[in-house]
Amino acid sequence: MQFIDSNLLTVVIMLPLAGALALLAVPKERPALIKNLAFGISAAVFIISLRLYFGFDAACSAMQFTISRSWLPDWGINYSLGIDGISLLMVMLTNLLTPLAILASFNYIQEHQKAFYASMLALQTGMLGVFASLDVFLFYVFWEAMLIPMYFLIGVWGGQRRIYAALKFFIYTMLGSVLMLAAIIFVCLAHKEQFGAYSFSLFELYRTTFSLKAQLWLFAAFALAFAIKVPLFPFHTWLPDAHVEAPTAGSVLLAGVLLKMGVYGYLRFAVPLFPAAAQSFAPWLAGLGVIGVIYGSLVAWSQPDMKKMVAYSSVAHMGLIMLGIAAFEPAAVSGAVLQMVNHGLSTGALFLLVGVLYERRHTRLIEDYGGLAKVMPGFSAVFMIVTLSSIGLPGLNGFVGEFLLLFGSFKIYPWLAAAAVSGVILSAVYMLGMYQRVVFGPVRHEENRRLPDLSAREWSYLLPLVLFIIFIGVYPAPFLRKMDAAVKTYVQRGSGADLVCPAAKAPAPSVQPSRRQAVKPPSRPAVKRTPRKEHK
Amino acid sequence: MTIEMANYAGHSLAILLTLLMAALTALFIPIITKRDDATPGLVVLTASLVLLAFFPAAHPDLLSLFYGALTISPFTRYLWPFFLAALAFTVLISLRSRDRRPGAGEYYFLLAMAALALIFLVSAGEFLTVFIAVELLSVCLYALAAINRSPIGAEAGYKYFLLGSFGTGMLVMGIALVYGTAGTLNFGAIKLALVSGLPFHPLMSAGFIFLIAGFSFKSALVPFHMWVPDVYEGAPTPVSAFMGAAVKAGGVVVLYRLFALTAGAPQFREIFWALAVLTMVLGNLMALPQQNLKRLLAYSSISHAGYIVTGFFGGTEGLKAALFYLAVYAAANIGAFAVVAALEKEERGVTIKDLAGLSERHPYLAGAMSLFMLSLAGIPPLAGFFGKFYVFAAALKSGCIWLVVIALLMSAVSVYYYLRVLVAMYMEKEPSVLEAMHSGAMNLALTLLALAVTLLGVFSGPLLRLAQAASIF
Repeated sequence: MQFIDSNLLTVVIMLPLAGALALLAVPKERPALIKNLAFGISAAVFIISLRLYFGFDAACSAMQFTISRSWLPDWGINYSLGIDGISLLMVMLTNLLTPLAILASFNYIQEHQKAFYASMLALQTGMLGVFASLDVFLFYVFWEAMLIPMYFLIGVWGGQRRIYAALKFFIYTMLGSVLMLAAIIFVCLAHKEQFGAYSFSLFELYRTTFSLKAQLWLFAAFALAFAIKVPLFPFHTWLPDAHVEAPTAGSVLLAGVLLKMGVYGYLRFAVPLFPAAAQSFAPWLAGLGVIGVIYGSLVAWSQPDMKKMVAYSSVAHMGLIMLGIAAFEPAAVSGAVLQMVNHGLSTGALFLLVGVLYERRHTRLIEDYGGLAKVMPGFSAVFMIVTLSSIGLPGLNGFVGEFLLLFGSFKIYPWLAAAAVSGVILSAVYMLGMYQRVVFGPVRHEENRRLPDLSAREWSYLLPLVLFIIFIGVYPAPFLRKMDAAVKTYVQRGSGADLVCPAAKAPAPSVQPSRRQAVKPPSRPAVKRTPRKEHK
Repeated sequence: MTIEMANYAGHSLAILLTLLMAALTALFIPIITKRDDATPGLVVLTASLVLLAFFPAAHPDLLSLFYGALTISPFTRYLWPFFLAALAFTVLISLRSRDRRPGAGEYYFLLAMAALALIFLVSAGEFLTVFIAVELLSVCLYALAAINRSPIGAEAGYKYFLLGSFGTGMLVMGIALVYGTAGTLNFGAIKLALVSGLPFHPLMSAGFIFLIAGFSFKSALVPFHMWVPDVYEGAPTPVSAFMGAAVKAGGVVVLYRLFALTAGAPQFREIFWALAVLTMVLGNLMALPQQNLKRLLAYSSISHAGYIVTGFFGGTEGLKAALFYLAVYAAANIGAFAVVAALEKEERGVTIKDLAGLSERHPYLAGAMSLFMLSLAGIPPLAGFFGKFYVFAAALKSGCIWLVVIALLMSAVSVYYYLRVLVAMYMEKEPSVLEAMHSGAMNLALTLLALAVTLLGVFSGPLLRLAQAASIF
C-alpha cells in the first residue's frame, strides 16, 4: 500500500501495460479468462485512480502526485509524472472509458481476442502517459507509442477498409509529430544555451525565452501535431475513416480520449511554451475551430451512416472546444475542458449505442432502422439521453460545457462565437433527425421486430455513462472546482499577462531549486508550479 | 610503451590471431573430416563468443602498432565487439540453412575473414591498411554473395564484383592523389598537413572526393547504391544481414574518418550534407514500391546510412549517437533478415504478399518481425527511436536544422513501407503458406535481437556510456 501510494501515477499508468503482458501469457483457448482478466485489470486501474481523484487538492495549483526519476541523464531526460486539475479529469475519463469499452467488446470481438485486449490495455497506458507526463520527451514517447496499439485496433478488428484507415491514421499522425520532435529538441537546446543544462522538464522549458519569430515556428510545429490529433478543420480527413472502420471499442477510445490529447497538447505544451506565438495564432485556431463546427455539422447532417455522423459531429464538437481554449478566458477554458469530458462521455456512449445496434443487425445505416422505441424501449431511452446530452440540452452535461464555453468566448471573439452557436443549432437538427428516424415511427423492417433490448452487460456499460451525463448536467461544480486552478494558470500564461517584460520570465532564485529537485517525498504536494505573476 | 600498454596491445593482437585461427580451422575441418555438418559454424561461433567474453577492458590511450599501420583506441574498443557480435549473430542464423550443404567450411571461413577485415578496416592508421582491409573484405563478400552457386546468387556476386571493383578503383585513385600531395599515407600526418596547408591543394581535394566516392560505394550511399538491392536480394540471406549491419558499419566508420580529416574545408561538409540528404530521400522513396522483402530491407538499409551520416554533423555528441545508432540499427536489421531467412525457400527471399497471415501461423516470428520493423521505423518505445533521437538531437545541436527536418520527414515516410510488412502479417486474412524453419539457434538469435530492440532504447544508459567512451575519436 505504501508503495502504491508513493508511486500512484506510475502504478496507474503501468498497470495496464503489465496487464497486457500478462494477458499474452494466458492460453488463447480460454477466451472467458482473457476477457475477464482484461476487464478486471482496467476496472482495477479505475478503482486505484479514484485515489487520485479524491486525494487531489483542488485548492493547490501545483502539479500533484509528482514522481521524478532520472532516465536518460545525458540529455537531462527524466521520467517525471504529475497531474493538475485538467490532467486529472482526462485521466479519470480514460480510466472510466477503457473498462466500459472492454466490456462492450465481449461479444463483438471474436477473433484474436488475446491480442485485442492486450492492445486495449497497452493503449490505455499510452493515453494515461500522455496526460500525466511532465517531461516533454516522455510525453513524446507516450504520444507516439500509443499509435501502435491503435493502429492494430483499427487494422486488425476494423471494417471493410480497415487497412487504408489504419495506415492513414498512423502516417497522418506521424507526419504531424516528427516536426514536433524537431521543435522539442530545439527548445531543449535553447534551454541549454540559456540555463547551461539540458532539460526536457516541462517547467524548466517554460522558463526558456525565444524571439517571436522562433516562437512562431516552434508553435507551428507543435500546433500542427496537435491540430491533426484534435482534429482541426483542414487536418481532419483521417478521422472519419478511422472512426468508421475502427471496432466499437476503438471508436470509443479514439473519440473519447485520443482527440482530447490534441486539445490537451495545446493546453499543456503549445500555448504555455510559446505564449506570444499562441497570441498571434489564437484567432486562427479559433477561426479554424468555428469552421470545423459548421463544416462538421453540415457534413454530419448529410450522412446516411450513423457512425459517420457521430464521427463528423466529433469534428464539430472538437472545433467548438478549440474556440474555447483559444479564447484565453477563464469561463471559456473551463467550459472547453468540461466539454472535453462531456464529449468523451456522450460521444463514447453514442459509439457504444451504434455498436449495440450493429451487433444486432450488422448495419449502421439510419434507413435500416426505425420504430425501435417499441422494440427496444430501454435502448431508446438511453439513446435519447445521450442524444440530448450531445446537443446540449439544459439539465444534461453538454449544456453546462457549451454554455460556459460560448459565454466566455463571446467576450473575446463575438462574431466567431455567434457563428459557433449556429453549429450548436445544427447539431440539434442532425442528431434529433437521426434519433427520430431510428427510434420513432413504424417498424419499417421486418428483421427489426425481434431485436432484443439491452442485455445486462450492455446496461452495465451504458448506465455509468448516463449517470455521469446527468450528474454533470445537474451538478458540475465538483468537476469545475478540480480544474479551476489549472485553468487559471493556463489563462494567465496564454493571455500574455506575463509577456510585458521578457526579463520578468527569469525566475526568482528561490523558486529554482525546488523545481530542479527531481525526487520528491512520497507525500503529494510537490513541484510547485509558480504562477508567472509572482515574479513581477 | 609501458608494460601495461604492451599487454593491452598483445591482448588485442591475440584477438585478431584467434579469429584468424578460428577461420582457418573452420575452413579445414570439412576437408579433414569429409563431412558437411555444423562443426565449422560452431567453431566460428564459439571463437567469437569467447572473444566477446574475454574482451580486454578499455584502455584510454591510443596505441599505434606496426609503425602506425594499426591503431587501437577506445573507438576500436567499441567497434571490435560490435563486429564480433554481428559475426556471432550471422553464424547463429546461418547454422541450420548451411547444414548438409557442401561448402560450409568456406562459408564460415569467408564470414570470419570478412569480420576480421572489418576489424582491420576500422583500426587502420593509414590508407594502405585501409586499402588492404577493403580488398580482403570485398573479396570475401564477392565469394559469399555467390556461394550458393545459384543463378541469382551468381548474378549478385558478379554485379557486386564489377561495381565493387569500380569502387576500389576510385579508392586507389584517391589514395594515390592524397599521397602525391601530402607525401604520407598516415592519417595523423595527413591531418597535420591539411591543417597547415589550407586551402586544400586541388589534387588533394580530388583525392578526397575519390575516397569519399569509394567508401560511399562500400556503405551504399545514394548515388553509389545501385548494387545494393540486387546483391542483398541474390546473396544468401544471412550474408545480406551481415552486409547490411556490419559491412555498412565499416564503410560508415571510414567515411567518418574522411569527414573528420576534411572537417576544415566547408566544401566537404557540403558533399557529406548532399550525400546524407540524397541517401535519406531516395533510399526511402525507392523503398516504397518494393514487393520483395529483401529488396525492401536493402533500400531501408540504404536510408539508414543516411541517418547515420546525419550524425556526423553533430561533433563528438554526434559520433556517440552514430555509434549507438549503428548497434541499434544492426540489431533490428539482422533480426529482420533473420526472419526472412527463417521463412525463405531460396535466396530470393519472400515477398510482402507471402507474409499474409503470418501472425496466425507463426505468431512469434510475426511478433519479432513487428518489433524489428517498428524499431527501424523509429517508433517509441523501441530502440530505433532513441537512436534517431540521439542522432538528430546531436545534429540539431550543431545547427543543421534543415538536415534534421528532412531526416525526420523521411523517417515519417519510411513508416509507410515498414507498416506494409505489419499490414501483411496481421491484417491480411489469407491463410499463410510459409513454412518456418525452426532451429534452436535461429530462435535464440531472434529472441536476443527482439529483446535488444525492445530494451536498448528505454534503457539506453549502458550502451550509450560505451558509445560515449568510444567517441573520443
